[in-house]
Amino acid sequence: MKTFKRLTIPYIVWMVAMIVIPMLLIVLYAFTKQGNDVVSLQFTFDNFKKFFTDPDFLKTLWLSLRISLITTVLCVCIGYPVAYAIAQASPKKRNLLILLVTLPMWINMLVRTYAWIGILADNGLINHILAFFGLEPTKLLYTDFAVVLGMVYNFIPFMILQIESSLAKMDKSLLEAANDLGANRFQRFKNITFPLSLPGVVSGITLVFLPSVSSFVIPKLMGGGGYMMIGNVIENQFISVGEWNFGSAISMIMAVIIMISMYITRRLDKGDDTVRARKGGNVQ
Amino acid sequence: MNNKKFSRRLILGLILVFFYFPILYMLVFSFNGSRSLTSFDGFSLQWYEKMFSDRNMMEAIYYTLITAVIATFISTIVGTITAIGLSKSKRIVREVVQQINDLPIMNPEIVTAVGLMLFYVSMHMEKGFLTMLLAHIAFCTPYVILSVMPKLRSLDPNLAEAAMDLGATPAKAMWKVIVPQIMPGIVSGALIAFTMSFDDFIISYFVTGNGVKNISTLVWTMSKRINPSINSLSTLIVIMITITLLFVNLVPMVKEKRQKQGRPISNKVFGIIAVCFTLVIGSVLVALKGGVGSSSPEDAIAKYGSDTLKVYNWGEYLDPEVNAAFEKKFGVKIVYDTFDSNELMYTKLQSGESYDVLVPSDYMIERLIQEKQLQPLDKSMIPNLSNLAKGVKGLQYDPDNTYSAPYFWGTVGIVYNKQKVHKTDLEKEGFNIFHNTKYKGHIYMYDSERDSFMMALKALGYSMNTSDKKELKDAYDWLVKAVDIMDPEIVTDEVIDAMINGNKDMALVYSGDAAYILSENEDMDYYMPKEGTNLWSDAMVIPKNAKNPKLANEYINFLLDYEASMKNTLFVGYASSNEEVLDEASSEGGEFDGNHAYLPRVGYAKDEIFEYNADVKKIISDYWTKVKIAK
Repeated sequence: MKTFKRLTIPYIVWMVAMIVIPMLLIVLYAFTKQGNDVVSLQFTFDNFKKFFTDPDFLKTLWLSLRISLITTVLCVCIGYPVAYAIAQASPKKRNLLILLVTLPMWINMLVRTYAWIGILADNGLINHILAFFGLEPTKLLYTDFAVVLGMVYNFIPFMILQIESSLAKMDKSLLEAANDLGANRFQRFKNITFPLSLPGVVSGITLVFLPSVSSFVIPKLMGGGGYMMIGNVIENQFISVGEWNFGSAISMIMAVIIMISMYITRRLDKGDDTVRARKGGNVQ
Repeated sequence: MNNKKFSRRLILGLILVFFYFPILYMLVFSFNGSRSLTSFDGFSLQWYEKMFSDRNMMEAIYYTLITAVIATFISTIVGTITAIGLSKSKRIVREVVQQINDLPIMNPEIVTAVGLMLFYVSMHMEKGFLTMLLAHIAFCTPYVILSVMPKLRSLDPNLAEAAMDLGATPAKAMWKVIVPQIMPGIVSGALIAFTMSFDDFIISYFVTGNGVKNISTLVWTMSKRINPSINSLSTLIVIMITITLLFVNLVPMVKEKRQKQGRPISNKVFGIIAVCFTLVIGSVLVALKGGVGSSSPEDAIAKYGSDTLKVYNWGEYLDPEVNAAFEKKFGVKIVYDTFDSNELMYTKLQSGESYDVLVPSDYMIERLIQEKQLQPLDKSMIPNLSNLAKGVKGLQYDPDNTYSAPYFWGTVGIVYNKQKVHKTDLEKEGFNIFHNTKYKGHIYMYDSERDSFMMALKALGYSMNTSDKKELKDAYDWLVKAVDIMDPEIVTDEVIDAMINGNKDMALVYSGDAAYILSENEDMDYYMPKEGTNLWSDAMVIPKNAKNPKLANEYINFLLDYEASMKNTLFVGYASSNEEVLDEASSEGGEFDGNHAYLPRVGYAKDEIFEYNADVKKIISDYWTKVKIAK
């Protein structure tokens, strides 16, 4: 079977060049001073010190965690009933509903988020409707609310699909058995349905939390230029400030935070569907 | 039971409204008769016309499609072959490769993007189509491997061996035996790869350059100004994606149905459908390609050595007709890229991009001259330098205009709503009106470290070019206080549409944007504080590493001409550097007659021009990041 084994060699080379080396470069930049000359490397911890000793940068980290936590909780609370309702539908309807939930995911995130701007703007649709009913216009765009809304809108399909697939996998005879044994609806849900759907919830949480904590597109479009989440700080450092070393350090910090949270959820989850499910693993 | 059914329907109905309402909204407004995103003024196809005649959009569609097609093709083949190889490899090899393969999927995209960008810079690769394509292949392949692997796992490992025992070559065994068995995995992998590539923003944003944009990066640069063409473009994308998805989902259903009825569709039909699909995409690509480059380059190559000119200018800073006229006259193609801050432009230059013409501001030109990054203009090729207006000629950063030819100039001031803001407050307080809580929640600040610090320093009575640490700290405190007590919104170019719509009462803006706002909304007026302000100018320069300096000089001369200057000033609203145009536009009967924002204030002692100082730059950019975070 040597012939087949050799097939992996080209990709291994490619993978080292395009995946491993870029990651190492981030680490290298994070621990060095200005300039990317290999000749004059100067190791330093300053980039990390700068981040962790400055309350303002810690504030962006806190904001990112807070916003993505709220987003995740909302996605579970809204996503679960929806997934439950889809799982209850007849197989034909179920397929259609899943297609309808999936469809927006295939449309560009930027485009989808842009659509909300006209709706939320100060003189946008919602404020027009409020004015029509004689209510005070409220500021919606460029607030925490708008950012959370944008994130829930973009990421909730992941949650719904994950929970739905674990609900659909569930063995229905368990419910029947419980019914025969006299359990009421609430008991059946609490003792059977919910525990069995938990793996879906957990991987849904990862799939929502991960992109929201690192997002910079949604905060910038929905939160305005002054809305700084950690992704925005990275973007800022690389694109306009030009401090690549500091930017690399923050990227590293973010990657580590995410690895840790992944590890924790994986321990809770045990299954490894998560990886496969991220974006569109549900095509078939 | 009915009750339960009802609540189920309600939940599903609500979520579907939530999903589809914004998409529907966008779709409807793509047919709007006016620019507005909020009121529908009659049906019109103008935004579709605009889209199809906009070369940038057509190019973006072209690059998006071609990247997605090539990246899908390569990553599907490489991914499938690798997955087959892995399934026969030692456990340890397989585990390690799979772990690394998961990295781009588990990592936040921005980290992958940043890593690739650093990689390209270290390899001295020029950003552009190739870098974008390679990056797309890099993040698509892992998904293909991931979706093929499970299918291989459920395959009998002895199948290939059996085939080979029966005399098949390894290639034949793979192609005839393994591949057909794992086809569903390959197809879904290819589909994921295609949409990942088609939709990608974050990675493309960091690794592309030199005028190569895909749809997402184009939308990103356009999203600051209301541009209903974005809606038309989005509608087009939605329709394309819907058709593809319906197709993918319906085909198996039809196939199954037919099979049940005993009339299976032969593979030939699928072959024909696939060929048709490829032909359609192919012809779209060819059509787009035809529109992308269609000049006769031979003469230009003979005369200038190349037929492309790369220009890097501010966003919304040029009438597209001017570029088209230049291309026609000289038989060349302009690669036109835009930026929205001097710092962004500078960072891009440092990351190894080369341009022929740049349009930075005063202090940035001073910096580029100091760092010896510019080449002198060839004045014999630019006779139109004699047209320069007095106020903008030979300024302190380049006294003899050796390196720079001014393009637009102006001041920074306050646009205010006459109905809501008392002029007496402005006259009494100047920039300190940004501390007047009467206007709390009704102001915009501009996301520019320079101009925000200018405002703060002037408000405190200091020079805006100070390098005194204490004065800079005072200015920082002034800004933090403003952010704290006034609850401003920090914006960039979206301020223009917002003020035209009258969203807020006051904003710090550049005079040219103010001129445009004033001409669109009669309630607005422009005020230049008595404490003095920033008298700025943006000028065209040629970097040392320009590939086509000769044509660059020609271009600069062309833009300084009466005709191009007039077109640009009318289109953009900024004060022209051409004396004749400036006079004509601001005199009686001119476009900007009576517009307080158009003509810059010349000769006022307290106005200053920015100077470049590396230490100060670092201090204020740190401070400004912190001010924004403090918000």
